[in-house]
Amino acid sequence: MKYILLLSLLFGGFELTQNEIPNFRLKNLDNRTVSYNQIKGENLTVIDFWATWCKPCVKSIPEFVKMDKEFEDDQVKFIGISIDGPRNKAKVKPFIKSLGVDYTVLRDSDSSVMARLRVTAVPTLLIINSDNEIVYFHEGYKTGEEVEIKNKIKELLAE
Amino acid sequence: MKNIGLISFFVAFGSLGVLEQAEAQLYGTNTFEFQYGNLPFEENTDLTTSYNQLNLYYDSGKFSLFGKAEQFLSPVEDRNYFELTQKRFQYQDDNFRIRLGNFYETIGSGLLLRSYDIPGSVFESDFYRTRYAFFRDLEGVAFDVNLDWAELKIIRSQPLQNDLPPNFEPDSVRHPDLVEAIQATFYPTDNLSVGGALMRVNTPNNSDYSQYASLMTNIQLPANFQLFGEYAIDTESDPFSFNEDQSYALYSGLNYYHGSFGASLEYKNYNDFRLGSSGFNDPPSLIKEHTYPILNRSTHVPNTSNEQGVQAELFYTFEGDHSLVANYAYTINEVARRNEYREYFIEGTYKFNDQLSLKSFLDYAVDEPKQQDNRISIGLITDKSFGESQNVIVDLQYQTYDESFQPEKIENYFASLSYSFNSSLNISAVFEASTEPGLTDNPNTFPEIETNTRTWLGFNSLYRINTSNSLALFVGKRRGGPACTSGICYEILDFEGAEVRITTRF
Repeated sequence: MKYILLLSLLFGGFELTQNEIPNFRLKNLDNRTVSYNQIKGENLTVIDFWATWCKPCVKSIPEFVKMDKEFEDDQVKFIGISIDGPRNKAKVKPFIKSLGVDYTVLRDSDSSVMARLRVTAVPTLLIINSDNEIVYFHEGYKTGEEVEIKNKIKELLAE
Repeated sequence: MKNIGLISFFVAFGSLGVLEQAEAQLYGTNTFEFQYGNLPFEENTDLTTSYNQLNLYYDSGKFSLFGKAEQFLSPVEDRNYFELTQKRFQYQDDNFRIRLGNFYETIGSGLLLRSYDIPGSVFESDFYRTRYAFFRDLEGVAFDVNLDWAELKIIRSQPLQNDLPPNFEPDSVRHPDLVEAIQATFYPTDNLSVGGALMRVNTPNNSDYSQYASLMTNIQLPANFQLFGEYAIDTESDPFSFNEDQSYALYSGLNYYHGSFGASLEYKNYNDFRLGSSGFNDPPSLIKEHTYPILNRSTHVPNTSNEQGVQAELFYTFEGDHSLVANYAYTINEVARRNEYREYFIEGTYKFNDQLSLKSFLDYAVDEPKQQDNRISIGLITDKSFGESQNVIVDLQYQTYDESFQPEKIENYFASLSYSFNSSLNISAVFEASTEPGLTDNPNTFPEIETNTRTWLGFNSLYRINTSNSLALFVGKRRGGPACTSGICYEILDFEGAEVRITTRF
């Protein structure tokens, strides 16, 4: 019985449900609580989950800094979400400053928003449209993938 | 009884799904892994097993339910299980949250309490030979308030002893300690936070509680300096003596940043501070947390019975995205004898253009706890893109050191070649070799001691079918050993054979 139940859940899982993003609330680097609706972009919102100890994240963040500037006039907002735990909290600000990040960075210390959005690895990038639907999900980062991400943003803006 | 509870939980989920309202969502992730093979270099170690982990969430307004079900099947009946390993009910308002069941929470910097989850990890116990998700959660109740000027956490829970598998009986042994804690943090200005925590712990067969307290602060100073620290003690200890018969843990640091330059200096001093019978606290180790495989295995785990140390790091990002990182770590502990750990690390990245970058590192360490001297590690990683969709990474690493009672230098080699097409396909070959006697010897052939270099060659592929499903395949021989993520270390077993992993988001 239990195996049938498990299998039904496993295969049932391939059917996608509505990918709506909740209005989550997290603290920024100045310890102020902000909600997603307060900081989201008018057209698109790009959320990047990262951590100070994650090497591919260090490679990808400078690319997102460039994209943030490039798409500023298109009402595209970038948001970085650090999943560094409480013990690494103090390292986040100097790290972000050294990489020249100007966009909003939030702290998800207990990874609750990460779990809520079914993100299981860093870096993971999500693009959310103006209807609050997750329309793109990109796990990992290798050099050159910024082109794929940039093209996806352009494609979504053109829709 | 457990299975009835498990089925009831999913029936409850199912019922909620039927009653799904406009704002309600049922969603989750599933990881299925099948292994066909064995432990290399040993005998009678059939590892033909399957493991499945289902994480199911249901949200309706401010309420949410969560369940994690794990299943393990192997040829040995005693190792098999199907368990609901986590369940949680949560109510979350704008400013407060209540959690009942299994959850994660850390007090301060983890000096008193740290729980964690390594998403996607599948741990195999070398003693019980059972596979399960690697996390340390808390089972009980937590209440937290989150305001712009203050945070409050109240916890009554039992931390998981995660070296025991989910089917271990009795289940109560997996949660041996009871922890009650309260933590308050205040933010009087944008540049200052101060906080304190009180915690009491009851261990098995003990009617008394041990009590602990901690104070913590984070100060943003002028000129981009940042000072932070936490000091925790057993309330029966003298808070200012720092004697070896007292129980305390001090962790502090100073950060500085200016433009693309950053620097940090950290200090630790721990004495007699392993808490509870399961050791649920986790003071920071203050060494560089490396992700390079060859250095990751050589990490230093702090001895909370007695350890002091410092860590200093400098980093700079040059124009053109070139970067330089330099790190120095020194720790000393005197438990049975005096042990020093000293490490110098430098890493440089040079970006020739958007298509080609070169990264290299050099590391020198003296690791007396592991009885390793003159440990030199080097690495060279070339990252080359072709057009807009193809990428090749060549990763070469080498390590050598002197080990006590070994006449020859020990050597470790790591080489990987990785090819990616878009972000959807990645193929890699990984070769490793070692002359470490603890690895080259086959315990099954005792008293003969093998000294020939041991090698591992494996092939990995990852295909992201779409944004919700991915398929990973491994074929060959994989080297085990300690693996560390964000300061959390666990042992991976050697494996030879084929492994398939299917990951689903829904």
